[in-house]
Amino acid sequence: MSMNFSEFKKLIGADPLNRDAETLRARLSSPEFEAAATEAEEFEEKLQAAVLVSPPDDLLNQIKGISQQPVQRRSWVPLALAASLLVFVGAAGLVWKQSHQWDSVEDYVVDHYSHDGNAVLAKAGEKSPDQAIAKILTQLDARATEQLAGLITFIKFCPTPDGRGAHMVVSTDQGPVTIIYMPEVQALDGEEVRFDQMHASLVNLEHGSAAIIGNQSQNFDRLVVMVRNSLKTGLVDA
Amino acid sequence: MTNDTERTHRFNELAEAYSTDLYRYAMWKCGNDALAKDLVQETFLRAWRALDSLKDVKAAKSWLITILRREYARTFERKVPPFTDLDKVTVEDNDELKPDERTERDLLRKGILKLDSKYRDPLLLQVVFGHSCAEISEQLGISKSAVMTQLFRAREKLKTQMQKDGVTGNVHELF
Repeated sequence: MSMNFSEFKKLIGADPLNRDAETLRARLSSPEFEAAATEAEEFEEKLQAAVLVSPPDDLLNQIKGISQQPVQRRSWVPLALAASLLVFVGAAGLVWKQSHQWDSVEDYVVDHYSHDGNAVLAKAGEKSPDQAIAKILTQLDARATEQLAGLITFIKFCPTPDGRGAHMVVSTDQGPVTIIYMPEVQALDGEEVRFDQMHASLVNLEHGSAAIIGNQSQNFDRLVVMVRNSLKTGLVDA
Repeated sequence: MTNDTERTHRFNELAEAYSTDLYRYAMWKCGNDALAKDLVQETFLRAWRALDSLKDVKAAKSWLITILRREYARTFERKVPPFTDLDKVTVEDNDELKPDERTERDLLRKGILKLDSKYRDPLLLQVVFGHSCAEISEQLGISKSAVMTQLFRAREKLKTQMQKDGVTGNVHELF
């Protein structure tokens, strides 16, 4: 059955350069169809010309410069990129990030916790609403199992050496513990960091890593297992 | 060639082949040239790290678009940037345009930026990358018929907007 004019208009409105046999047949079936097709093609030509914006002259060279980075160093965004991103994000925490360059994930964890670890702990209260947890983790392509989500008493976005992460406080039987989730950062699994009466355990996850931070009297063995099993990500590393 | 050299060569080929279209897509998607540049750089940074996971070079274009779209969603969706003054963006092949053609093109550009993202996104995939409806369907995870409806409506809205702006002399409207 041949298509009517309304169907034809919709078809060429969706795909003006469509050249399949049925469309061509319809086009040639009457002057009215032919005129509509010609008009659609003319509009398409203007549309295609309108989207032609030229990239900045230096873009290609800057992109090619990326390949000079070591492949395994997932942790550090070039300073120039980070700085330009900061203009748009503009959060105070990121301003803090801008003024810091870390030689290692361990340095970052110590610096980050020293910056606002205690302040965040002070904000932690009752259990965070599941929606608030999901809202933040979803934007990081991650999710927490019920077991972990049930312990979270505070969560917020935070800067990491590579992109955004989440700064969380969880309630444990040994008191509140801080977890920093770094979706784009790989850490040395099992690494322990000690600083200022505190200690941090680094956990490598399926994608990214986490730092579990508390005072030196707190044992993280069970929490490490829980974080490893409970902080899941849907991120296909693309 | 060593593995590293080969990898770098492969990456540079992708950059040469797709960076311009990705920039255009990003530019019309976010409406801000500086942000578009950041998005494209971040896209290639991630692509560089994950390059070994790209097994089929024919999938490279879709793969890069997916990275860019994800990066856009991840980083910028919650913070809507101001639209760029389009006059500041370098435009290709505009020297031969007559004044009325230039006006028409400007109206069209402003119309594109005014489109709701549900219409703009499939339209950009089609016009910038030359995606078929089936490819757009796959990229956006919606049915092909929904893609066709959105593409049709996108063009209708553009035409309506152009007529409206053209009639009211709204060429210099700020965003």
